[in-house]
Amino acid sequence: MMTTTILEPLRWTASPARVAVCTNGNGTGAYYQVIAPRNAERLCVGRPVEEVPRILTILSPAHHLVSALTLDRLFNVEPPPPAVHMREALVRTQFFKHHIRILYLLLSSSENPFRETGRVRRPGRTELLPLHVLEEIKHHEALAQEAETILGGRADHPVSAIAGGVGRFLKEPHYDRLSEIAGRCLEFSVSTAKLLNETLFGNSKQANRLFDFTLPSIPSMASSSDGGTVVLRGPDGKEIERFAPADLFDKVGLEREPWTYQPFAYVKSKGWRSVFAGAPESFFSVGPLARINAGEALPTPLAEEERQRTAADLGAGPYTTLGAAYRALTIELIGAAEGMTDLCRREQLTGPSIRVIPTEMGRTATAALEAPEGLIAHWYEVDDRGIVQNIQVLDGAAGNNALRCLLVRQAVETTGAVGMNVKDVKRRIEEILLPF
Amino acid sequence: MPKRTLAVYTATGCPACENGILDTHYQVSSLTPWVDVVFWPHLLGGEWEDLEGVDRIDLCIFAGALAGEADREAAARLREKSEVMIACGACAAFGGLPGLINLRPESTGKAAETGDLEGCPPLPAVTRPVAGLPGACTVDYVIPGCPPPQNLLWAAIQATLCGGEAPARISFAASRLPDSLASAIAAGVLPNKGSVFGGEKGVCASCSRRKEEKKFTSFHRPYELNPDSGRCLLEQGLICQGIATREGCGGACTAVGAGCRGCFGKAENVFDAGAKMVSAISSTFDATDSRTAEGLAGQFLDPAGTFYRYTLPEQCVLMSAGTKE
Repeated sequence: MMTTTILEPLRWTASPARVAVCTNGNGTGAYYQVIAPRNAERLCVGRPVEEVPRILTILSPAHHLVSALTLDRLFNVEPPPPAVHMREALVRTQFFKHHIRILYLLLSSSENPFRETGRVRRPGRTELLPLHVLEEIKHHEALAQEAETILGGRADHPVSAIAGGVGRFLKEPHYDRLSEIAGRCLEFSVSTAKLLNETLFGNSKQANRLFDFTLPSIPSMASSSDGGTVVLRGPDGKEIERFAPADLFDKVGLEREPWTYQPFAYVKSKGWRSVFAGAPESFFSVGPLARINAGEALPTPLAEEERQRTAADLGAGPYTTLGAAYRALTIELIGAAEGMTDLCRREQLTGPSIRVIPTEMGRTATAALEAPEGLIAHWYEVDDRGIVQNIQVLDGAAGNNALRCLLVRQAVETTGAVGMNVKDVKRRIEEILLPF
Repeated sequence: MPKRTLAVYTATGCPACENGILDTHYQVSSLTPWVDVVFWPHLLGGEWEDLEGVDRIDLCIFAGALAGEADREAAARLREKSEVMIACGACAAFGGLPGLINLRPESTGKAAETGDLEGCPPLPAVTRPVAGLPGACTVDYVIPGCPPPQNLLWAAIQATLCGGEAPARISFAASRLPDSLASAIAAGVLPNKGSVFGGEKGVCASCSRRKEEKKFTSFHRPYELNPDSGRCLLEQGLICQGIATREGCGGACTAVGAGCRGCFGKAENVFDAGAKMVSAISSTFDATDSRTAEGLAGQFLDPAGTFYRYTLPEQCVLMSAGTKE
């Protein structure tokens, strides 16, 4: 007879999710379950293809941009440089906001951020960070959100990118404001990384908690630094395969299991097998750690400096611990702010044109993009009127679904072994899933 | 004034509404003197069992559409405990983007079509049609938008929790709120039940683009032309639902050249947004005979998926899933 313990609702997940721990005569198995389907692809079928960038923001803000890239391919147009820079600046800003939010959630994870600070303190508790740091993080997140609104029209669900470019020129006050925001975000990202290195990553109790957890050994997938190819690497960091983004859905498939609504991305050449069938080479992970584990020098100096500092502390990659996943976020946080600083300059965002009007339309198109949450990709098939007939979407949730399932199972096994109570097990699982 | 209790929950949708609450320009933590956050699983963790120890929730902000049993169960549990329930965002208010699945009811969204569940935990069932919160329980107030603008979120939170005592008043939001709502907030009393934290008129009322009463001779798809800046998009042949949609966003989409898609739901005096749009477009056609009008109408694709992009379950008269506002 099977008994099931349900841990729900999980914190910080994009879709409602839970962990089911099933015990029967054969032992115990934990399942990470997304319990409500979003069916984002199915929402798009039957819609005019130009509407997809607005619909798929339901997955994450970066899907607006990868969708616009897919439309560029479909209509065979190359956006003019100011539009490319505006889109790229928006992606960098999304990186900053996404990563700083995850760090905020981590830092506030053991406390209620709405507690009356200064009035109610837990007896005997010492704060890991000065209390004002969380407020400063929220402030800079708000600044990034303002930059997103300027560049994307709206923050969480941007609307500005269209086939062939962007929908409008920026206005005069925007240039100075964007530049100011980028500068403040850069300054803050560097000081935050320093603070985290000294307190969180350098604090032995906290660091042990993060660096003692070893991640499952599965391949990773990320774009090359120039974005021209997608690279699949083994857990040892060695390149397994390199291919063009346009071929992504020839290489990567999406399959479902009966116990979760979230599809799994897998490597087609390895064949589809259940995530618990003992074939981790069929799956891969995406995201900040996958990108840092590519081992390539970063294009921006301060982020590269932080990457080198990480290498000095943790050794040469690839990194396989939970702590390294959080350090990857701080490296990319700095890189994102440097990118914002470089792109949010008047000369980058101005020019005679911001869009190219398409004159032809293909029937299928694919594009991929490194989003804050990891590699994402879209494939569209349209009819002769440009109505979507078929669509495939790789999002961060599908890309990391296998990893998250393996992480949950591993977390339950390790915490169960030390007799942790159910609430603490749940909190530990949430902390482990957060950077993925 | 005793502290009020707050719960925040998102069903099927995305985290944008909750992020919006969290991001109310970092003022959300200043709610602490007035509010005890008793349940906010996305941010604070906690479990459903925690609710059993809560006698009463003064305000529940519920985001996301109801697409499955888990969503409906969450709505029922929170409604039972909550004095005031706000449908936050287009998904909770009208069904939102997830509600588009109702146009393709054969799409069950089932996990695996032929899965063997032996030894695996079952999933909560999917329910069709997808509904907004009004499809399952009584809703006291609505904050529309996808996601709702932060000034309106902040206005709603202050109106329902702070009893007129909050330090930062909502003058920045009140200009877009109906008089009755703004007056109630200023007086520190709860607004009338059923109030919508948005404007009453259409988006056109606050859109910066000028209307010239010009008629158009053909529809254009957004990728086909570079619209004149400053001119009404609809009058340039681009579909824009500002005329049928409740204002409150300040014309955020039209400001960047993107037509309104109705995420605030229908305006106060509109019976059905799709019917209103058909009427508005018809009157903007430059057609003097039925054949020309028919030709123009034939150019327009996917009217249901466009006019009810965010509102199909709750505001499409022909396909309404449940309780009305």
